[in-house]
Amino acid sequence: MKKYFKNLALMIFVSYTVVSVSSAVINIILGGQTNNLNELMMFVICIIASVVLSLHGLFDSVSPLAMMVIQYLLACVLIAVMLFIVSCIDTITIQGWLDLYRSFTIPYVILAGVYYYSVFADTKKKDSIIKDLQKRAG
Amino acid sequence: MKLNLFEDKNNTNEHVDLYFSNMRPQIKQIIDIVQSERISLSGRPADDDLDDGEEILIDPKEVYYLDYVDRKLFMYTGTGVYRIMKTLAECEELLWNYGFVRVSKSNLINIFRIKQLKPDLNMKVYAYFDNGERICVNRSYKKEFDQYLQKMRRMV
Repeated sequence: MKKYFKNLALMIFVSYTVVSVSSAVINIILGGQTNNLNELMMFVICIIASVVLSLHGLFDSVSPLAMMVIQYLLACVLIAVMLFIVSCIDTITIQGWLDLYRSFTIPYVILAGVYYYSVFADTKKKDSIIKDLQKRAG
Repeated sequence: MKLNLFEDKNNTNEHVDLYFSNMRPQIKQIIDIVQSERISLSGRPADDDLDDGEEILIDPKEVYYLDYVDRKLFMYTGTGVYRIMKTLAECEELLWNYGFVRVSKSNLINIFRIKQLKPDLNMKVYAYFDNGERICVNRSYKKEFDQYLQKMRRMV
């Protein structure tokens, strides 16, 4: 359990650093601006994404595709809860909700695609290793 | 591998000298034979109609995979299904040198009998065998499966 929380913390810090630095670079290039609430929301989204992804061990009995869909839906629910809490402090328009979901969905779909490809590429590699072993063993 | 055989009718001290570059599964199998410890799995036909009460010895090379169902262990070969009185963990240890690797909680597969390793559209990876059957390679065992293949690659 200790190892799990250690890995989870590491995942949160790394993902937040990447997202934060990327956002800063984009803001410099495009001249955009951010505020403290946005930064905090970014951090919370990183926590949500890391926690949801770290639960993959619970979905061993289902297919990876089903697992990704379940994780995505779970993340969407948690983000909705977060937005609901934020809306108590600040006003969030419908466009704001849609923008946030879009910002979350696009990288998720891209990463899911990368994972999908990696499964196929990795299996192909292993298949060729097996064929090679069979050939060598005669 | 080069094989030299010397027949001497007067020899009272029969022996085998084995020269090898590294201790790989093939060498271990030869040692097993010389030491009369050649592994063979004994089992009874899973089909009650075919079971005459006698155990049948089966060469591990003939086995596609082992399946643990309802607290019973079955081995699948090209000629039939046999029930064996061992645990899956025992078989895993016993058959390591023969290409058997654990791919799920209840399956041990023979990599030398795999026809193809292929993922489904839902991203589950399956090992297909000559007899048309397939076994899922569970994600939890992916790391062990990878390590096994790498070890065998270095040894064979």
